[in-house]
Amino acid sequence: MIDFALKKRYLTTEYEKPNWIIESGLSLAELTAKVAEFEKENDLPKALIKAKTFELLIENARIAIDKEDIFQDKFLAGNIMAEQKRAWRKAVEKAYLSEETEETKRAWEQFGAYSAHGDYSHISPNSRLLMEVGFTGLLQRVEKAEKRGGLTQKQKEFYQSCKIVLNAMITATNRLAEGVKEYNYENYVALSNIAKGAPSNLYEAMQLLTLYFYLHENVAGARVRTLGRLDFMLYPYYKKDLESGRYTKEEIKEMLKFFLYKFWSAKVLYDLPFCLAGKDENGGEVTNELSYLIVETYNELHIYSPKIHIRVSEKTPMDFVKLVLACIRQGNSSFVFVNDEIGTETLRRVGVEERDARNFIPIGCYEPAVWGVEIGCTGNGGVTLPKAVELVFTKGKDYATGLPCGVETGEIRSFEDFVDAVKTQIAYMAEKMTHYVTEIEKHYDKIYPDAILSCQYDASVERGVDVYEGGAKYNNSSCYFWGIATLVDALCAVKKLVFDENYLTFDELWEALQADWVGYENYRTLALHLDEKYGNGNATADELAVQFSKFCATLVNNKPNGRGGVYKAALFSVDNNVYAGARLMATPDGRKAGMPISKNLCATPAMDKNGITALIHSVTKMDHANFPTGSVLDIVLHPSAVLGESGLHAFYGILITYFKKGGFAMHGNVFNVDDLRSAQKDPEKYANLQVRVCGWNAYFVNLSKVEQDDFIKQAEHCKLF
Amino acid sequence: MKARIFEIKRFAVHDGDGIRTTVFFKGCPLRCVWCHNPEGLEMKPQLGFYQHKCVHCGACVTACPQNAHTLQGGKHTFDRSKCVGCGKCENACLNGALRLYGKEMTVDELLPLLLADREFYETTGGGVTLSGGECLLYAEFCAELLKRLKEEKIHTAVDTCGFVSKSAIDQVAPYTDVFLYDVKAFDEDAHIRCTGQSNKRILENLQYIDGLGKAIEIRIPYVPQYNQQEIQSIAEFLSKCKHVKKVQVLSYHNYAGSKYDALEMENTLPKQLPSEEEVRTAQACFDVL
Repeated sequence: MIDFALKKRYLTTEYEKPNWIIESGLSLAELTAKVAEFEKENDLPKALIKAKTFELLIENARIAIDKEDIFQDKFLAGNIMAEQKRAWRKAVEKAYLSEETEETKRAWEQFGAYSAHGDYSHISPNSRLLMEVGFTGLLQRVEKAEKRGGLTQKQKEFYQSCKIVLNAMITATNRLAEGVKEYNYENYVALSNIAKGAPSNLYEAMQLLTLYFYLHENVAGARVRTLGRLDFMLYPYYKKDLESGRYTKEEIKEMLKFFLYKFWSAKVLYDLPFCLAGKDENGGEVTNELSYLIVETYNELHIYSPKIHIRVSEKTPMDFVKLVLACIRQGNSSFVFVNDEIGTETLRRVGVEERDARNFIPIGCYEPAVWGVEIGCTGNGGVTLPKAVELVFTKGKDYATGLPCGVETGEIRSFEDFVDAVKTQIAYMAEKMTHYVTEIEKHYDKIYPDAILSCQYDASVERGVDVYEGGAKYNNSSCYFWGIATLVDALCAVKKLVFDENYLTFDELWEALQADWVGYENYRTLALHLDEKYGNGNATADELAVQFSKFCATLVNNKPNGRGGVYKAALFSVDNNVYAGARLMATPDGRKAGMPISKNLCATPAMDKNGITALIHSVTKMDHANFPTGSVLDIVLHPSAVLGESGLHAFYGILITYFKKGGFAMHGNVFNVDDLRSAQKDPEKYANLQVRVCGWNAYFVNLSKVEQDDFIKQAEHCKLF
Repeated sequence: MKARIFEIKRFAVHDGDGIRTTVFFKGCPLRCVWCHNPEGLEMKPQLGFYQHKCVHCGACVTACPQNAHTLQGGKHTFDRSKCVGCGKCENACLNGALRLYGKEMTVDELLPLLLADREFYETTGGGVTLSGGECLLYAEFCAELLKRLKEEKIHTAVDTCGFVSKSAIDQVAPYTDVFLYDVKAFDEDAHIRCTGQSNKRILENLQYIDGLGKAIEIRIPYVPQYNQQEIQSIAEFLSKCKHVKKVQVLSYHNYAGSKYDALEMENTLPKQLPSEEEVRTAQACFDVL
């Protein structure tokens, strides 16, 4: 086995400057022209055009052979297919949805109210099946389904496109095999074997995953957001290879280094994730020897991508969870914990069958979807909750532009009126958002047929229907709600300042908000220092959080989408809290115009005054199983809180208690505020300081000033002593 | 029955096993030169005034029935001699510049606050720690509180300096799972230099608790210029105790400076901090026990 350390330098840059073999195929310009010519000359359904484009690229593109690497994958295909998808989407928007697209764009880019778009970028392949049967096995399944006869023209075209892409996959494998033959015979054998069937050992399995990922992501222009449960999939090979003596544990560790490092050096967008641990569909715990080895190896590499989801069930061994927590404590924030029980329960609530529900994987950030069975479009956009507060005051107009953006709600005479009006505005935005998504989904056949994905989905192959046209068993969409803490704090401030204590009238508060609190500083101080704040165990705030989270979930869960599936609500913001906040006027909680709104399930920065345990109590009063596209709590701990064995145990306690109380996902950051401040001043010295932005990781020094300040505020707040 | 409490700290991870809630009782019989909780020394309530947070709004002037706060020429002055510790100014001050240390609380008021994090105790083997100041100055109160906690099956720890009566120990011992016991010096003169009091009673009480068969964790605040010479003899003394489960050398820090200022107390904190190496060396004396 090749020593990874010797090759690391090469591997770091292998994706930046691949050694394209000129005589192996066309230049990018020639290839682009060839595809354009093909598209012009062939008036075929989009599914076939796409499949044939893929085939054309595989057959004609230049390849690169990595003599220093142990896995091969590179085809020079540029952005041809991603651009093709973009052009098709634009064409559909123009032909069918031009007004709606304009309106939706304005609602987000100008008002920051809601965002809505088709989502073809949360691809979750059936990697488990791919491992079991290989490209050839998938091909046989398609051929078998096709033989049943009585097919419509469209079904015939579907099967044809599946066969085209699978044969192209095999061709791709053979091209690389031939290319590497003279340099690395073992790699040649592995590639030749997976061109003929399923992988038979761990090395071949990893080569297949690497190659599949590259072809789907970089050649076919998809966004593969998870490769599934890595320890579960690879363990049988691991066990077999160890027992047969094919590889030693040390050799396997070395292979794992090459494998994991590829995703890092490829700079995969949003850090493609894997999933480890948790229960399988029969209720047994997945965690095995390989789970530990993967985490240890990954941590030794000092990389933060691929990110890794850890499913935690009551059976997941404590020492495994602690191993991961120890990595986070060291500064590697690439791990996210996901609660097995809630992930399963939340899918049941949107009609997913028991066995399927147990077999979920988190897609992208943390969004649960059934592995290889559900097309969970988990990034369709969402609603800015605190915008609803602005819209009540403006009676439905965006404050900054005066343009219509919500509903003309009536006079507010009581807090109950206010609550009702806010709900009306939220419902309006959610309706607008889901309407747009539903409409564009009806045209997915003209934008994003995906034969490479469809041929891995049982239901799709049986029915002869593309996964993006409702071919999967579950064909779901998503709607997010962001800024829950800012919303709750704003409601509490209106209740207390206007209706309970009569500090000022509703109209005076409106004046204060329009003035961005200038001239109303005393009221702002009052608003900022109320006890009634989200995340503090305050009964009023907690009740409003429960009420509104339930309201939001009820608005969208199980609502039919445009592909025969349903919507699944999410309660987290990703980084939209900064974008939406920048377009939102002052809010009654004392927030100034343009400042970020609250992030994910976090309290408004520095407003969780009673500490992390109180925050967890408040957050878990909401029912997280109501959010089948997920929810996440970010916590920041000071290094002194997690010091030593007892500190690690406390860290474990925080996580496990959050899960026992019904939380769904958590990520932890461990750092002290002084480091962050120094990093802001002296970025070069702190180039390696990582933070978890949301579903992905980032170097702190690369964040915007606003985002950095947010982290600093949060960290300031968790100081001990 | 009431006790004077100056802080309740949730997610306390340094006061015994697991995640805990620590209750700080006001008043202490010792005057350790390095004390990092000066707000816990006096029995009477004290107002802390954090000048850097004051925005000179005058809310405290209006709120104070004793006219202890005045605002003149934009400068806030506080006459400590007039303050009776009613806390009205603290409530009026929205910017957190005023903080009253020492609030009267009953067992019934405390209990729900201490049970709030029960689930965190359960997942980590944590519980509630009574600390201070010196909690055993309120022995009867503590006994009642601990009893109620034990009825709720909460793990209990009593953090004491040991300069208390035997009867105080007798009262709480039946409901205490572990004593966190401070030992600062073995030599009596050294102890007087460190704390202003003899350690005779402290060492006796430690043996007494050991004789009761209660689990003990020893904590040694380590300030080399005061007790470096003491470490070896403390170790020898402890080696004779049967129920000492753990000895922890706590590195002295001087973060408490701002609290001395806020309370207008003379800052006695030693300037020199122990190095990590010194702390490790001291700790090593006990790891062989």
